[in-house]
Amino acid sequence: MAKRYDAIIVGGGHNGLVAAAYLARAGREVLVLEQRHLVGGATVTEELYPGFKYSVFSYVVSLLRPEIMRDLSLARHGLEILPLESTFTPLPGGDYLLRGPDHAQTHREIYRHSPRDADVYDEYGRLMAQMAMAVRPILGMVPPDPAAPGWRDLQSLAQLGSHVRALGGERFHALAKLMTMSAADFLDEWFECEPLKATMSASGIIGTFLGPRSPGSAYVLLHHYMGEIDGAFRAWGFARGGTGAISSAIASAARSFGAEIRTNAAVQQVITKNGRAMGVVLADGEEIYARVVASSLDPKRTFLKLCAPADLPTEFREAIERFKIRGSSGKVNLSLAALPNFTSLPGMGMHLRGSISISPSMDYLEQAFDDAKYGEFSRHPYMDVLIPSLIDPGMAPPGQHVMSCFVQYAPYNLKGGWTDAQRTAFGDTVVNTLCEYAPNLRENILHRQVLSPADIESVTGLTEGNIFQGELALNQLFFLRPVPGWAQYRTPVRALYQCGSGTHPGGGICGAPGRLAAMEMLRDGL
Amino acid sequence: MRSSDCIIIGAGANSLVAAAVLARAGRKVLVLERLDRVGGTHASAELHPGYRFDTAMTSLGWLPPLLSRQLRLSRHGLNVHWAGMPLLALERDGHSLPLWRDERRTVRSLRMLSVRDAERWPAFCARAARLAGFLRSAYMLPAPQVPNPGLGDAWTLVQLGLKARGLGRMEMLELLRVLPLSVSEWLDEWFESDLLKGALGAGGVQNINLGPQAAGTALGLLHHHVGAALGDIRPVGFVRGGMARLGEALAAAAQAAGATIELNSAVASVLVRSGQAAGVVLANGSEIKAATVVSGLDPKQTLLELVGGDWLEPGFVRRVNNIRGEGIAARVHLALDGLPVFPDVPSGGMDALGRISISPSLEYVERAHDCAKYGRVSNAPVLEAVIPSLSDASLAPAGCHVMSVAVQYTPWHLRAGAWNAERSTALRDNVVALLDAHIPGLRARIQAAVVHTPADFEREFGAPRGNLYHADLTLDQILFMRPIAGWAQYRTPVRGLYMCGPANHPGAGITGVAGYHAARAVLHTKP
Repeated sequence: MAKRYDAIIVGGGHNGLVAAAYLARAGREVLVLEQRHLVGGATVTEELYPGFKYSVFSYVVSLLRPEIMRDLSLARHGLEILPLESTFTPLPGGDYLLRGPDHAQTHREIYRHSPRDADVYDEYGRLMAQMAMAVRPILGMVPPDPAAPGWRDLQSLAQLGSHVRALGGERFHALAKLMTMSAADFLDEWFECEPLKATMSASGIIGTFLGPRSPGSAYVLLHHYMGEIDGAFRAWGFARGGTGAISSAIASAARSFGAEIRTNAAVQQVITKNGRAMGVVLADGEEIYARVVASSLDPKRTFLKLCAPADLPTEFREAIERFKIRGSSGKVNLSLAALPNFTSLPGMGMHLRGSISISPSMDYLEQAFDDAKYGEFSRHPYMDVLIPSLIDPGMAPPGQHVMSCFVQYAPYNLKGGWTDAQRTAFGDTVVNTLCEYAPNLRENILHRQVLSPADIESVTGLTEGNIFQGELALNQLFFLRPVPGWAQYRTPVRALYQCGSGTHPGGGICGAPGRLAAMEMLRDGL
Repeated sequence: MRSSDCIIIGAGANSLVAAAVLARAGRKVLVLERLDRVGGTHASAELHPGYRFDTAMTSLGWLPPLLSRQLRLSRHGLNVHWAGMPLLALERDGHSLPLWRDERRTVRSLRMLSVRDAERWPAFCARAARLAGFLRSAYMLPAPQVPNPGLGDAWTLVQLGLKARGLGRMEMLELLRVLPLSVSEWLDEWFESDLLKGALGAGGVQNINLGPQAAGTALGLLHHHVGAALGDIRPVGFVRGGMARLGEALAAAAQAAGATIELNSAVASVLVRSGQAAGVVLANGSEIKAATVVSGLDPKQTLLELVGGDWLEPGFVRRVNNIRGEGIAARVHLALDGLPVFPDVPSGGMDALGRISISPSLEYVERAHDCAKYGRVSNAPVLEAVIPSLSDASLAPAGCHVMSVAVQYTPWHLRAGAWNAERSTALRDNVVALLDAHIPGLRARIQAAVVHTPADFEREFGAPRGNLYHADLTLDQILFMRPIAGWAQYRTPVRGLYMCGPANHPGAGITGVAGYHAARAVLHTKP
């Protein structure tokens, strides 16, 4: 009889690897099965053209939990995160807004646009930091079940209650508003400068199928404020070697604890017997057995593709079918012969080393969303652009560069579907939009990779190409994620667990779902 | 100098309920109304000779039985007729979909449209009834103070918790899941017919500056559904003799309990002495003393104009300023010299007619809102019309009818410039053309048309920024966050000053309940 593992982790994305590392660290025999030839899922670096390395999908990091960095000694496994220090918003009229690490300079720059906004900018930052602090403990906890609380649920509810009480009325109310408002309304209460509001609100809509005026988008604003890199709050970072370096480090940590990782091993089905998961069948028919199976795939793929319908209660299946995973973004990766030259701020400078945000006004973003609502990609899309080779020169041949463009909105359900012609048109739209601000870009493009949400889905397997494995909407957060009643990483199939971003606390390179799921498995006696 | 125990500012429905409840408890109550009539936005007027229109609120959604019983409203002349067909959804091609209070009739009419939707209707009604039932109980309790509840609040929370537990585990989770959902998502889970979803979805955004894809609009639909019996949908109640009769009945109840009502008495400011309300100053300069002042006006008028920002902390003033609720709906009132032919309405339908809806799909509503996002009037607006004269012949000359059309979205603040006669006329023409395309022959019946834009509402009713509902019912402005997070107990930073208008929990459309809770808050506070 073949070897029986303690645990099989389906999917070698960063959460799957984190879960594997924690289980292996606790002495369990773990096997990770990844369908692609490399681990990482959406967290990969690939050298698609000689010398040009792309962070193909996910491209920045901020949410990665510090306890995971520590527990898995990721620094020792080669992870180094370089800070992204500025945000540059070029404007159509030839002006720009540039915020950087120098506090006084940023203040002067905002003052140039609006003295009033410059006055409240710091206070706003303090409030957001407080809010993020208030939410952080919640990210690290298993969501309690408020409807049928057991002893542990009561404990964590009480913990949550005292946490909320400790916040005090004012901060609690600000948090409650933040959870329910739109990014536009929330920012309107503070600021008047359009590019400032738009660039800030952009982080509230990244990865979601919401516009800045959609209620609920303010919360995602906070989600992106919760990062912590080397103790520095809310800083975005870039991993040396691209985002793939993060998954390589976690994989290396997992291996060092004894976990086994197999690539080119696509799982086709979970084997069940009497309502209990026994193992998995691979695409080539091989069967592998384990005491528990944990899937880091998104809930739809886990339950609707890997599980037999008969293994799941109808209500649960319906709830999973209702789970909102809406692909809303695309990615364009460029190889450049030379740096782009922005008309509003020519030449080389700090503004190219950070994030370049195409978000001139709230109306611009909202109109980009309007297109997507009715099944078109944005004619004037929002973009978060990075030139990783300026931060880590190893990403491109000397003198040349790679450019990563995160583009929104690109609806998965495009009218007429994502044909090759549509993909090309989408890529052209992105390049044309960028050329409005940096006209020399076009002639310097050596290679262009355009990824529609459909492409992201077909390569990574993420349903609809959604980077969060499910919308971070109010009705899909905390004890409602992925579906009410099943937010504690367990599933209706005994010994089958979920450990991907589709579970609390959700997407981003965060690792918390993998870690919390591993801890629940161990608690269940694995 | 004159004095009273309690002064109530404004004589709208909530103010009158508060007056009645306080007077019944033995307080000496004085109601001061700026206009020459009671009722506030529950108003009727003869806009065209012989034709009596409900000018602002055109129907009731719920009249809590507790209130009508306690205040003996029927004895004071109130008679509400609940439409047997709350919704008639029209399509351009002459098709229509009637929804009835009687679930079985609705199922029959849905079958013509979609067998699947017809099959699902009873289950949807049952789910909606359970969720709305929970809201109904929540609305009859004052909003608790969160996160630091007092003893009374803790009791409210316990009661709410028990109510929620009574729903059962899955139903309670379903409640938590549905309330923050968008009405589009919720309806898409149930139905496939665009006409049905469009007509229902319009209810989720009624008087809110959001489209049906916005989170929290499912709550909007349930909010207007709290008065519904099982099988019913978003009830429509017409007050016999016109909406003004509601205010008159409430005023009679308050007076019977001993309250005094003074018309034509505009309050210019609230007197504050060392952080405590001391009375009011009228526009004519005279002062009236009272230790308790209850304002039915919206929080901005009450706190920033009548009290004045100087008495309040800057942070609090900012939060008051940030209350969202810009008027987003207009009315077009049409005097008809006869009834046009409604194609496709089953026999007996016209007598039972409640709300006529032109909202053919959720996308239609969403696109209508897209215009409002950029400060424009919708090209193709959502229309909801009532013809109260169908069930009450006293409202118009024999054979003639009054038709009031709610038009959404018509932002109070237009980017192109303020509302004026030209823009009102354009709106009227657009609405009439849209109606005529759905109800052939309507245009020929029109004797007169009167438009009320949000700017008119502001002028005529003192509606803040043209909003008859004072504050949007959005997720960040409900329960303990209505009107302001932390100030949902009808109290204000000024001791003795209370608020009872629809900007307070539970909000507009829940007739009189904010006034009821405000009065109880007054009675439960030790002087």
